[in-house]
Amino acid sequence: MARLASPDTETAAKTPATRRRGELSNLQFALVVTVPVLVFLVLVIAYPLGYALNLSFHDIRFFGGYSATWVGLENYADVLSDERFWNGFLLTVRFTVETVLLTLGIGMALALVVRDLPPRWRWLRALIILPWAVSPYGAGIFFAYLGRGQTGVGTALANALGFDTSINFITQDLVVEFLALGAAWNMAPLVAFFLLANMLTTPPRLYDLAKLDRMSRFETFLYVTLPPLRFTLFVFTCIITVLSIKTFDYIFTATQGGPGSASSVLTYVLYRTSFQNLDLGYGAAMSFYLLALILISTGIIFFTWGRREARR
Amino acid sequence: MTKTRGGFSRGFTRRSFMATGSAALLGSTALGSGLFSGGLAYAQDFDLMATSGEPVYFRGWQFRTDVVQSNVDAYNERMNGNVDYATVTGDYPSLMETTLIANGDLDVLYANPSSAVRYMGGGWVMPAAELPNGQEIADSMYDNIREAWSVNGQLLGLSYFVSVRGTLLANLQRLDEAGFGDNPLPTTWDQLYETIYALHEAGVETPFLPHWFAEWFGISWGFLFEVMNRGGQVADAETHQPMMTVDGPAGATLEAWKRLWNSGLVPEEVLSYNEAAYIDAFRSGRYVFSPQQIYDIKTFNDPAQSADVAGHISLLPGTEQSWGLIDSAMYLMTSRDRPDALTDDVMRFTSWYGYKDENGDFAVANRWLEENMLFSAYRPVMESDAAREAIQSSVARPEDYDTVLEVYARTPYPKGVWNVVWSEEFNVWLREKLFSFLQDDLPVAEVIEEANAEITRLNERYGI
Amino acid sequence: MTRSRITIWLVLAIAVALIWTFLPMYWTVKFAFMTKPEISRFPPLLFPPDPNLASFFNIFGSDYTLADGTVVPASGQARQIILGLRNSLIVSVVVTAVTIFVVTPLSYVFARMEFPAKGKLLAAVLLSVSLPPVSTLIPFYVLYVQLDLVGTLFGLIIITLTITIPIVAWVMIGFFRNMPPIEQLGRIDGFSRLYIFTRIMVPMARSGIMVASVIAFLFAWNEYVYAQVLVTGSTAVTLPAAMSGFLFQAPEPGHLAASIFLSVLPPFVIAFFLQKHIAEMNFV
Repeated sequence: MARLASPDTETAAKTPATRRRGELSNLQFALVVTVPVLVFLVLVIAYPLGYALNLSFHDIRFFGGYSATWVGLENYADVLSDERFWNGFLLTVRFTVETVLLTLGIGMALALVVRDLPPRWRWLRALIILPWAVSPYGAGIFFAYLGRGQTGVGTALANALGFDTSINFITQDLVVEFLALGAAWNMAPLVAFFLLANMLTTPPRLYDLAKLDRMSRFETFLYVTLPPLRFTLFVFTCIITVLSIKTFDYIFTATQGGPGSASSVLTYVLYRTSFQNLDLGYGAAMSFYLLALILISTGIIFFTWGRREARR
Repeated sequence: MTKTRGGFSRGFTRRSFMATGSAALLGSTALGSGLFSGGLAYAQDFDLMATSGEPVYFRGWQFRTDVVQSNVDAYNERMNGNVDYATVTGDYPSLMETTLIANGDLDVLYANPSSAVRYMGGGWVMPAAELPNGQEIADSMYDNIREAWSVNGQLLGLSYFVSVRGTLLANLQRLDEAGFGDNPLPTTWDQLYETIYALHEAGVETPFLPHWFAEWFGISWGFLFEVMNRGGQVADAETHQPMMTVDGPAGATLEAWKRLWNSGLVPEEVLSYNEAAYIDAFRSGRYVFSPQQIYDIKTFNDPAQSADVAGHISLLPGTEQSWGLIDSAMYLMTSRDRPDALTDDVMRFTSWYGYKDENGDFAVANRWLEENMLFSAYRPVMESDAAREAIQSSVARPEDYDTVLEVYARTPYPKGVWNVVWSEEFNVWLREKLFSFLQDDLPVAEVIEEANAEITRLNERYGI
Repeated sequence: MTRSRITIWLVLAIAVALIWTFLPMYWTVKFAFMTKPEISRFPPLLFPPDPNLASFFNIFGSDYTLADGTVVPASGQARQIILGLRNSLIVSVVVTAVTIFVVTPLSYVFARMEFPAKGKLLAAVLLSVSLPPVSTLIPFYVLYVQLDLVGTLFGLIIITLTITIPIVAWVMIGFFRNMPPIEQLGRIDGFSRLYIFTRIMVPMARSGIMVASVIAFLFAWNEYVYAQVLVTGSTAVTLPAAMSGFLFQAPEPGHLAASIFLSVLPPFVIAFFLQKHIAEMNFV
């Protein structure tokens, strides 16, 4: 990732004389601050991960006496022919792609709106960040009430305008899009915030130059506003991708994976397998596919986009 | 069963039970007649005072936690107890199962019978039969309920409540408005569906809120009770072999569902409701009929909670067939690793809370009946005058009292799919399959065939 | 910064942004000011017809008498809500402090130094963010039972750190990368690495560290998946876990709305103060 700032290598090489006695080398200093964290993370994460790995090679049964039978890779093979897994997989991909696009798009729009505020109105900037303070759990509740025909804003407005109808977004066809919109509501302010911070560092004279060049608003955005934001956009594409694939509590409170299994994303399928059916071996195998999905997605984003950005 | 648990109960019997030997003798005579709870001070089988000082972890789902808390406080105060009560929220059965697997801090918990059977299969439960007064407790229950709550003749838990889920409620006001006020209420599922379509013809947009919501006790239970109400069985009560047929009640149920779904009368969002949303939807007065908990008749007829429908919610008579199924819950004791003295306290608390208090009163059960119209498995509780008053004050019309008892008495219990170790697994499978049946328009015959095959598969997996 | 004029388009855009921001919150939070029958009315009401504060009293364990004399009873969850508020604050503050203490030097090192195996070490830290909680829940639970950490704040803090450390590191590394190469000057002046870091870099990175703290705080404050399994039904219950009691089994939308409203207040306050630092931040 970061090859941009490496002033220290040169400095350290050039000025060995200034190094004090007992001074740490780069590597030593790095190890001192990194190793404890890594050890902590490894200890806390590796155990459950190893445990899950072990489970995934077994068929675990709790009833009629506990038993764990070694089945090798059978669980992994079974997952691949599991319809529910593939259904969940497709829903996860759909939800994630939509959430990332919506979050970045809306985040950008919000940032542009609050960038141009005159000083007396700047306090509005604080308001647009507020949805980000809501937990995914709370956001799920908000969007459940908002989207249902029974309690939703659509129905209320339609009836206020004299239409005797109910407008429901929690349907098999729309629910994933609706949930993605809710997730974007929750996360876009964070993106907006960082984009805004970056926009404010773009020198105003660039905009003056753009004006002299008679650029259209869109061109200004494309050639002046956007370029410095690209690395931020890359980082948040990664973060939002990971968060979206991992999402569980938001969907749990919003739809319980429904209606039917229309929003039973991979995490939800996993939850049902491991928690409700207690099929721990199979669930563990499935969770490694989920982990793989996360790693591959971020890997793809990094290799197709991130490396270029890092080199700039 | 773990060997430690056997040790615990022996320890209990040896020390506490024998120490209070004389009292126990007296208690067992009282038990013989079961009637000595009046003027005489009630002789306990065993002393209900807690002694270990260790906390007893009592967990339940969130229902009237204020009432539970005050009951627990009363026990702690009067019986020197150290009961730690809290609610466990979210996906209750799964969370409990996780705690049990991990041998977590949990001594007494709420459980539906299907979960209880499963926990028993996992070896995590100390059955109520192991209480010193276990036989007495079993004897004071209604036979059908004791049977539903027993595995191999062992009673698993003590009575929290016994209710009917799927009691068909009717909004009389909406019926009147639609011009159906003078028609007799439907008495069978087929009549009900006819009335629903007739209501729709008459301009009622959403005549029916079906039991199709997303909770683990939602759509799958809706299927179970409709099949049973139509006189069928999903699986055999003893052998657990599948019993659904396309021409039988199971087929009729699915055909009726398919027609209802395809008619578009049911908003799709119902399939994603939790129970709160389900209750609020009926409470809004938008729907005319809906299968609900029998005790929620009280909720719906209470103006403070349900102003829009209060006083108008009646129920369909059980003259020709049953409605719904027995939805019940017990207080279960766990068999986790803990000191013997603590196990003794667990038993004391459970007996006090789930059966009779130190004065020989069904204090907790009576309170539930009064406050929330929660019925009990104990005959003496249900056959009291207090019970009659409690029910009468909660219904819309005087004659509904008899209907409530009638519906209650006829309600079936799906022993074939609940009193078996795979009950929860089948429940999750069925829930998903039924949603898919509606949304993906699967053929009735295919679903029934698959459901039977799934039961067979589970039987094989667990060697049943 | 192009124009600072208020045009009709700007006003419109602001209006849309505000509706987008507040409508979803308003739609549920309004329940906190309504009675049960009003909440369940169909078609749903746009505004509370007769706002009352009953829910706010109820969730803290007091009955409330409405204007018409109806008594709205206190919630039995009150004890857990109060406990949850306290615990959530403790967990979030501790997690934030530890995260910042650990991640600031870590990010500095990764952003501004070259050393062998840097890429691999960085990957190890960042990849732990990819671990989905659902797949490690049961193993975690088993481990925690063995260590006797279930239902303890300490246990929850440990597990929450595994979420905040990687995410905050991800953001902070970007921040340090964008800072001017000031330490060269410091090194030439002969300051030690530690001195440069604590006396020069940290003060310069103040606003970045504040933002990172807010991120850590919010992730800790909003964590539900682990809390649901590890601390529900214990004295270490956190606010989201305590709140979830209003959602299932028995409907209490008013209480739920009131407790969500409460739960967003602390982050709101923090986020509000944060925006003052926005201009100083040259992030990611």
